Amino acid sequence: MVDSPRNSVNEKINLRINGEWHEYEIGRDLEPCTTLSAFLRERLGFTGLKVSCDEGACGACTIILDGKAILSCMMLAVEADGKDVLTIEGLAKDDPVIEAFAEQSEPGHGTALQCGYCTPGFVMSVRALLNENPDPTLDEVKEALSGNLCRCGCYAGIVMAVRHASEKIAQRARQA
Amino acid sequence: MTIPYKPRVKRQFVGGYQPRIDADEKAHGRAPYADDMISDRNYPGLLHAVVLRCPYPRARIVRMDVSKARALPGVKAVLTYEDPEVLRMKPTNAGWTDAVDTVSYEGMMWRKFRDRRVLGDYATWAGDEVGVAIAAISQQIAEQALKLVDVDWEVLPFELDPLKALKPGAPVIHPETASTNVLPPDPVGGPDVFLVKGDIEKGFAEADVVLEMDTKHHNPTQGSLDPWCCMATWEGDQLTIISNSYATDQTRMHVSQMLEIPIHKVRVVSKYVGGQFGRGDTGDQPFFIFTALLAKIAGQPVKFKHSRRDSFHDTRQPAQYHCKVGAKADGTITALHFKSIGDIGAHADHSVFALKFAPAEISEAALAPIPNIKMESYAVYTDHIPGCMMRGVGNSQFNFIFGRMIDGLAEKLGKDPIALSIQNFGHEWGSCPDASLKAVLETGAQRIGWTEKRHQPGTGPLYEGFKRRGVGFSVHPGWHAEWQEERRGQVQVKITLNPDCTVTLDAPTVETGTGSNTCNVLGCAEALGFLGIQPKDIAWVAAIDTDRGMRDCVQTDSAVSFLQSEVMIVAAQELKKKLLDTAASFLQLKTDDLEIVKGRIVGAGKEISVKELLMKGDLVPISVMISRHPASQRTGVPYIASFAEVEVDTSTGRTQVV
Repeated sequence: MVDSPRNSVNEKINLRINGEWHEYEIGRDLEPCTTLSAFLRERLGFTGLKVSCDEGACGACTIILDGKAILSCMMLAVEADGKDVLTIEGLAKDDPVIEAFAEQSEPGHGTALQCGYCTPGFVMSVRALLNENPDPTLDEVKEALSGNLCRCGCYAGIVMAVRHASEKIAQRARQA
Repeated sequence: MTIPYKPRVKRQFVGGYQPRIDADEKAHGRAPYADDMISDRNYPGLLHAVVLRCPYPRARIVRMDVSKARALPGVKAVLTYEDPEVLRMKPTNAGWTDAVDTVSYEGMMWRKFRDRRVLGDYATWAGDEVGVAIAAISQQIAEQALKLVDVDWEVLPFELDPLKALKPGAPVIHPETASTNVLPPDPVGGPDVFLVKGDIEKGFAEADVVLEMDTKHHNPTQGSLDPWCCMATWEGDQLTIISNSYATDQTRMHVSQMLEIPIHKVRVVSKYVGGQFGRGDTGDQPFFIFTALLAKIAGQPVKFKHSRRDSFHDTRQPAQYHCKVGAKADGTITALHFKSIGDIGAHADHSVFALKFAPAEISEAALAPIPNIKMESYAVYTDHIPGCMMRGVGNSQFNFIFGRMIDGLAEKLGKDPIALSIQNFGHEWGSCPDASLKAVLETGAQRIGWTEKRHQPGTGPLYEGFKRRGVGFSVHPGWHAEWQEERRGQVQVKITLNPDCTVTLDAPTVETGTGSNTCNVLGCAEALGFLGIQPKDIAWVAAIDTDRGMRDCVQTDSAVSFLQSEVMIVAAQELKKKLLDTAASFLQLKTDDLEIVKGRIVGAGKEISVKELLMKGDLVPISVMISRHPASQRTGVPYIASFAEVEVDTSTGRTQVV
């Protein structure tokens, strides 16, 4: 007997989400066409990431997959089988990037957020950048954040928040 | 250049830099937005709704067959233009969303321009919501069902050019509201010639130079990252709507009156909203109504969420302006004539506000010294995307031609445009030269290096052989504050002092990113200075819920902070009085003998902390709710000036802000 195409694929996927492995069944927990962003938000409740454009243009759904910032709306959940998913909920409460975005407020640069809808995406892009390059130049910051849109226009504050996050990382490294 | 901010009055909490009160939860991704709250996970059985959008610029539905869509497994509710609850529905428009004050159907703006039908059979642009809405167990099934709807369209001739649409004989787009494609006069905007002061012909005759120019604005879009969404759910005859509307009280009135259900049977809840930018003032809101009807049919909660494309379905009004200006050789403007033609697109909505009301207000706030002015405007229906509200309510369209006029006249007269502005502009109840206008222009000029960088067109140096640079400015009178104070009606604030001397602040306003929540808490801490508390001791009620019994102060025109703060000051004084009465009763002293200083009640040799006093009592919180009209005396208009230096690559046209 020849297997049907459906039977020939792995009907279960395994995802490591924020440090814990989980097994999900295709057909029960998700469909083959379910995007990773929809699966994380609607099924698992990780609503930190936002689905704003749903076509890879705004960066609001950015998460970290195997250490790299990716757009979760541009990936099917099944494609993440066997991979390490980090959402903003998985960052430490005192993550320096989160702290820097929350604390940012200074003359000439303003805050790093207003409405806050894009913020989790920015935080994850910055987190991935600083993991690889803890002391980026302004051009490197701009390049790393070129896929994230802030409609409120807080870019000046965001750039300062990245600088402050970088300083926090260096300071903590010195104290460690 | 960064200039440190120096407050005019030194205060404890207001007037400095500090992080927003919501920054921590927003940076952690924990701030709840409507789309986060309304998830399949939170609402098992949640249905997803879609609506038909017309693919033609103008068309009428001749016949529709929804039987295949209805039969698709997973489809739970289908609502069409032929259903009785839709057929009997009143025509509507963006007048509901004039969120400055809550309005009824009869009291709304633009009562003459009710050209929107909830699921009508007539579409006037390629994107109009018409005919049918469907709710299904998933978005995919709902979209699949929509493709199964069989529609016979009568495709009609259309017109995209406002200059052709306003000509006699052009096919009329909305005969139910206008007998031609030009909107008739209305009580808010006035007649076509909506402002006449003096005699412009006399003014032009007196002028040494006369100049004419044109500008054409485009259709920018609000583009909030948080697309419109709502969920409607019924428990018996009680309807609850959770949404990212920035106006809960107004949405409740809208839903109540459109569905003809009593106000107390409708509850509307909003929490954080991911950007507003004027979207809340557009007419694109019949989705609240059809989502509620679908939920009633299905007996299950129904969610409707705009796609990214849907969320681009409204724009700023793209006015085309013509200006004629006359001036004496010394720079005195003798006459101004502005004529605008607004391509309002498929629906009238608030377009007249942008085309007539805003320029009339600017005239009052900036053009008062000019003796002869005429302003006229023609709001013209076309089969384009609607052009309605986006931040600035018509200011940017007017300021575009206004700025060009200043530059053009200065060039022709060989004068400095800053000096020309100070010489000619000011507001009705002020003096000329206006102190604010002079201050912002002179400060801006100093900061950008105006004297060194300014030059006549074509006379500046070349950079890299083919690039040229220039400096310029735009100036605007902030007329909104005065207008808001007069129009808002009563503003409501409730302060509750808890027995442990913490405070719960109900200063209802949906937080759209503008920081009104932070301003409220800082203002409240300042007003409650006698309690000796810090901003962290004040909890701001973030969920704006009509069941809390207060009208929310809607965040338009950057007005919330000063409107609510004013009421908070009164509420804080009232609270102080109540607290002193409580203390007098407890200490068996007269109220007049007591004072509260930094959280301690002192008097007649006795002293007790507020917390100690309250914890020894009956533990009932002390609440004060104040409703009052904002003080609306005219206190002046602050001018705003923006300066920029730009570089133009003359070989490619590429322009960059330096």
